[in-house]
Amino acid sequence: MATPVIWKLMLSCFFCFTAAAASAETLVFTAIPDEDETKLVERFRGVADYLSEQLNVDVRYIPVKSYAAAVSAFRNNQVQLAWFGGLSGVQARRLVPGSEAIAQGVEDEAFETYFIANTNTGIEPAAELSALKDQLQGKTFTFGSKGSTSGRLMPEFYVRDTFNAKPDDFFSRVGFSGNHTRTLRLVEAGTYDVGALNFQVWEKELADGNINTDAVQVIWKTPHYPDYQWTIRGDVDERFGDGFKQRVTEALLNLDNPELLESFPRSGFIPAANADYEPIRKTAQEIGILD
Amino acid sequence: MTGFDLTNLTASFSGKRVIGPLSLTVNPGDKIALVGKSGAGKSTLMRLIYERVNRDSSLIPQDLGLVNALSVFHNVFMGQLDKHATWYNTLTLARPFAKDKAEVLTLLQSLGITEKLWTPAASLSGGQRQRVAIARALYRNAAVLLADEPVSALDGPMANSVMMQLRDRFTTSIIALHDVDLALNYCTRIVGIQDGQVALDQPSEHLAAADIVSLY
Amino acid sequence: MPSSPTVRVSLIFLAIALVGLLFADIAVTTSNPWRDLGNFLFGIATPNFFSTEGLMTALLRTVAFAFVGVALGSVAGFLMALAYRSLPVRIFCAFIRAIHELFWALIFLQFFGFHPLTGVLAIAIPYAGIFAKVYSEILEEADPESGRVLPPGTGNISAFLYARIPDCWAKMRTYTAYRLECGLRSSAILGFVGLPTLGFYLEASFSQGLYSDAGAMLILFYVLIATMPLWVRPKLLPVYVLGAPFFLGEGLPIVWGNVQRFFTEDIVPAPLRNGEGLTGLTPWLSDLMINEAMPGIWNTLVLTQIALVATGILSLLAFPLISNHFGGPIRRNAGHVVLVIARSTPEYILAYILLQLWGPSMLPAVVALALHNGGIIGHLIGRQTNAIKLRADAAEGFNRYSWELVPRVYRSFLAFLFYRWEIIMRETAILGILGIYTLGFYVDSAIQNIRFDRAMVLILITALLNIGIDTLGRYIRRKLALQTMPTC
Repeated sequence: MATPVIWKLMLSCFFCFTAAAASAETLVFTAIPDEDETKLVERFRGVADYLSEQLNVDVRYIPVKSYAAAVSAFRNNQVQLAWFGGLSGVQARRLVPGSEAIAQGVEDEAFETYFIANTNTGIEPAAELSALKDQLQGKTFTFGSKGSTSGRLMPEFYVRDTFNAKPDDFFSRVGFSGNHTRTLRLVEAGTYDVGALNFQVWEKELADGNINTDAVQVIWKTPHYPDYQWTIRGDVDERFGDGFKQRVTEALLNLDNPELLESFPRSGFIPAANADYEPIRKTAQEIGILD
Repeated sequence: MTGFDLTNLTASFSGKRVIGPLSLTVNPGDKIALVGKSGAGKSTLMRLIYERVNRDSSLIPQDLGLVNALSVFHNVFMGQLDKHATWYNTLTLARPFAKDKAEVLTLLQSLGITEKLWTPAASLSGGQRQRVAIARALYRNAAVLLADEPVSALDGPMANSVMMQLRDRFTTSIIALHDVDLALNYCTRIVGIQDGQVALDQPSEHLAAADIVSLY
Repeated sequence: MPSSPTVRVSLIFLAIALVGLLFADIAVTTSNPWRDLGNFLFGIATPNFFSTEGLMTALLRTVAFAFVGVALGSVAGFLMALAYRSLPVRIFCAFIRAIHELFWALIFLQFFGFHPLTGVLAIAIPYAGIFAKVYSEILEEADPESGRVLPPGTGNISAFLYARIPDCWAKMRTYTAYRLECGLRSSAILGFVGLPTLGFYLEASFSQGLYSDAGAMLILFYVLIATMPLWVRPKLLPVYVLGAPFFLGEGLPIVWGNVQRFFTEDIVPAPLRNGEGLTGLTPWLSDLMINEAMPGIWNTLVLTQIALVATGILSLLAFPLISNHFGGPIRRNAGHVVLVIARSTPEYILAYILLQLWGPSMLPAVVALALHNGGIIGHLIGRQTNAIKLRADAAEGFNRYSWELVPRVYRSFLAFLFYRWEIIMRETAILGILGIYTLGFYVDSAIQNIRFDRAMVLILITALLNIGIDTLGRYIRRKLALQTMPTC
């Protein structure tokens, strides 16, 4: 009695899997989950619609739960295009030979990380991080995601560089909030004394009136570095036809829907190249995130 | 050939010998009653004999060996699992064949439990369970019967009727019994066991109940 | 002072946990934990069932993944149970069940990606290992007498089908149904790493503080589990099992080259991959051991021991909630509801919620583990006390509890507790993904840094640690002659 059930089960599994394989000629893209999911879904559904219109192919956005999942999906050719951060982009392009950074936000050329502190700590803003040494030492500190550039890589680099110590040793407690919005909320609520986040998220939340400035303030801004970019796999031309990569690039550079741009938030997209992210690669290697 | 020699049977529990060494010759046509007080080693001896004889014997152990989750029919049918192909047995689990059903039903009729054909063994009374095990042994239809207190849970008339059937259906049998009258009435040879040894071995017509009682 | 082996063992474990507390990181770091907890409870009281369009789909997927995973797991487990006497099979089963579903999911995600197979295998593989063990125990316990009376010459298969399976069937069915409930929990949790089940939306709602949305999801999940006896009927099972594969969702197509790459490149230790040979392996391994494995093992052990004792204490406190020997039916029904909620909520979700409310430390993890496991053991022990008949003039109240009931159930309580020891450790390791510095934290970090070689070594260490605890737990249970039926 048991055997026919197993066979039918295997058979139906088989059908299910082949059905999934049949719908392969859709351009699938993803993005690192650096902000609240609702916002991401809203933003990238808009992008999917826009690209679909411009490229005349089906375009689908899939949300992922971690930076690594975005990189893995790109590497495994389950997505062909991705909105990466600086570090995840470097990781992804190392793993997928032939892949290219094709566009970045206007603001991404000169990106910044803000160190923020709960006002209860009494930490005052400073121009140099070294000036904050005594005030920061022994406080609790949260990064964003483990794989984030602005939320992990750069702040960790500056902490190590300035204080000559691992974050674990310098702060009394180090956490990873998961994303920038959550870093903001956790420091605002006082769960952590200090945090580091993407300056664009801060500025946008501030402009939208979502920050209680009595509870949290920016205490230091990092120097500029390159960050987010659109990265595409090298084999898309073979799959979607000659010149496809070029068309995607143009579509992204021409994106001028203010509402869509506002959701990123970026004022527009400009050309990018793999070499632009060399500084990120070096920094990652320096602090041992990249081999 | 249904007779056999049992030589040098021994059994020990935790270093203490409980049976033998003991030898017994069973002739074709013998209907042996094993008697003796409880603890004399009758059940152990039955098991030893079964291990020696094994082939072509129908066994009714004291704890019956019923499969509680299976119906009476299936428990009885188990007596002939070796006679059918695996697919036949497997199919029978799901849907028994009419021929087998009829056969089993006839057997159950003679034991008076036809209405329980599809009842799981788990929900039967002690006497009913015993009759199912007896039916299984009858259905097995071997030449030799090895039974350990097969009628202990049956009332008088039923016990007599069952003993009669067992006598008629098997050429050779060894039955452990504590009821002296049943032993004398339905067996041709009485073997008394005491302290793991044969203390008595006589044709039953030479014995009276009083001769056996001394063993107890 | 009287001292029995069971009391001695309990005291030793209590002492270990107390020493562990000295080293453990126990703190509430949020500035206003009670307000957050209040918000959360308010959210549950005001559920919003229409938040996400995907909620019903997510529930459906949760059920589908559970059914397919548990079905495959039970079939594979049954086959392995038949060969369970063989040592290699036993070791293999111990190994696959020592790795948590989430770890399996994280592994499969690397090469199957977001394909339904990832979720199905993540449930089926560890479950197969557990099923093999439990099924073999059930088969072993079956009365051998009915097999002995079979006619000599009966085929092996016929003998198995007639003399073994029927009497084991009921137990196996009960256990499989029970695992199905566990499967629903596992399936829900898989959403936390990105599969399209309930956890996906739960995580999203929680992280954004949308407590009403999250509350609705939790309530639906409880209802789903509490109503299982109503919708999981033997007659409908084939329909579910056959239908479930069609509701797993499409996911993304598998690229088979990735599978090969994963096994031939990704998990090969970096020094070997880069051609540095064995000389490079030693520093690589020692770096991994010193900086990640050792702290991970230490924290995992400390947290496990504390959570184990907390679970024990909570179970002993909780069982009177459903015991017939205390209070009236109203209070007992309320007790049932409390325990059902405690044990239906996966530890992972509980820990996630508490971490959001209290901030990062070992405290949320301990409380989550104790609540969930204490709920399970409390329920089992409570049910056991209901079978106890007290003499008419037995003591009342606390005396009844401490003199009549606890001594009677203490041994089976310990049996359950030591049975769950390994389970608690497996969960402890996995909670690292949430940011507590147990082994799971380092596994997750390695994966986030796309260093699967490191992740695999750490997962392997986690598995070995689990097997070690499992063996030790079994040894103690045997020493104390404690017997138990498995719980999940």
